[in-house]
Amino acid sequence: MTDADTAISHAPLPTEKTVRSRTALPTQLMRFGAINLRMIKIILKGHGSSQA
Amino acid sequence: MARVVVLGAGVAGHTAALHLRRKLDKTHEVVVVSPNSQYNWIPSNIWVGVGKMTAKQVTFPLAPIYARKGIEFHQALGVALHPEGDADHSRPFVEVTYTDAARAGSRTSLEYDYLVNATGPKLNFGATPGLGPAGHTVSVCTASHAVEAATRLAEAIAAMKQGRKQTIVVGVGHGTCTCEGAAFEYVFNVEHEIRQAGVRDMADIVYLTNEYNLGDFGVDGMTFTQQGFQTTSKTWTESLFRERGVRAVAGAHVHKIEPGVVHYEQVDGSTHTLEFDFAMLLPPFRGADMTAVDYFGNDITDSVFAPSGFMKVDADYTPKPYEEWRAEDWPNTYQSPAFPNVFAVGIAFAPPHQISRPRMSPNGTVIAPAPPRTGMPSGIMGRTAAETIADKIKNPSAHAHAASMANMGAACIASAGAGLREGTAAAMTMYPVVPDYQKYPGSGRSEKDTYGEIGLAGHWTKTMLHYLFIYKAKAKPGWFVIPE
Repeated sequence: MTDADTAISHAPLPTEKTVRSRTALPTQLMRFGAINLRMIKIILKGHGSSQA
Repeated sequence: MARVVVLGAGVAGHTAALHLRRKLDKTHEVVVVSPNSQYNWIPSNIWVGVGKMTAKQVTFPLAPIYARKGIEFHQALGVALHPEGDADHSRPFVEVTYTDAARAGSRTSLEYDYLVNATGPKLNFGATPGLGPAGHTVSVCTASHAVEAATRLAEAIAAMKQGRKQTIVVGVGHGTCTCEGAAFEYVFNVEHEIRQAGVRDMADIVYLTNEYNLGDFGVDGMTFTQQGFQTTSKTWTESLFRERGVRAVAGAHVHKIEPGVVHYEQVDGSTHTLEFDFAMLLPPFRGADMTAVDYFGNDITDSVFAPSGFMKVDADYTPKPYEEWRAEDWPNTYQSPAFPNVFAVGIAFAPPHQISRPRMSPNGTVIAPAPPRTGMPSGIMGRTAAETIADKIKNPSAHAHAASMANMGAACIASAGAGLREGTAAAMTMYPVVPDYQKYPGSGRSEKDTYGEIGLAGHWTKTMLHYLFIYKAKAKPGWFVIPE
């Protein structure tokens, strides 16, 4: 076992509810909107070039 | 009339060429030189590599797009820069060697007023003996490599269905590789496909990386704030590895690959072997290895390019330890300090240093992930160089535009398995890409804008971006309103 494997074995596991929610359609439709809003924010904040 | 030559037609070069053509009237020429006849949307190659997409879905011919937009296209490889011109050329020029079937091997000189070097990486499989499609491993760096990877993966899955256990190794093939995010995507897509095939119990899947910690991604890791707690990308990523039963070897430099065996060294100096049945290991990158020559024919390559083959730009290349790295070291305009009418964008510019802390084993082996500068940052740099050049053609005293990776955010949607209902991806945003510990003490990045989540919505987002960016790259109506 490598050090990384040891760290992996101690990492927190998601609960069943969390795993289910990752593919639950109503939740994910909302998350789809949220992810896109976050991307738009990143684009607006640090995407346009300024004059040097 | 001005002439702008763009070397390379990847994300950075293609973006630069399209914006130049949009911003300059037809009295000015825009010329693209690319050794490839096809555009490749590389982020989707990982789906080709597991058989979820075909090569045709991630590529399209460049020539018809450029013909429609009024861009001159040469299917050729840039080999030598003459930034001062010579006795036969009043303007600077670049020597190119054609790669298309009709003119393969013949050379020509293309004069320019402005040059954008967006040649991308040279895939340096030769850095590790036995690495790559000509050796004993597969790659997903090009569409054709990914097709081969999919074929070999299908063979491994078939073997598992026949009852033969397989060891699958995915990662990077050298201590100085970049693009760990792509390796991360591929290992979880492979795991997903094997699980879907019903043979997950027959596979031992190992992620082999030069990252000192999982979740480093070549950007020194990230810190996410979730449900009132700060979580590192290390813990976050390790959790996914545990959930999906993927083993990992971190902080590794691969010395050589023999048939079915990877030989590697870790940061502590220990050496190991890892047997495999299927291995996808990414290569390290080099610059395109162009030379530069002055007016009199003297070699000035060292003043224009870094030893890595990447082009020097307006960065601070003063060697200094990790603790003294600053956000200001990173370039703003991507102009060559030696020749201000020459720009290098995307992977082609020489970064001032890594983003992640570089390490060396007691044996002197360098294990240092190179900074990623693909995707969104590449496109932004290409557009920025195009805006500067267009402004300077109209008004030579115009200021250059700036887009430092230390003031630039990025969104990274890392697929962890494809499928409209069963797919997942890790959706991550970070601001800025290069941490600024003076501005953001602690993690070096904005807590509000550095974020990650795993789920089906991430897969939908990556799928949407696939179609959106191919639409944009095809320069279809309104392409320019789609951000880089």
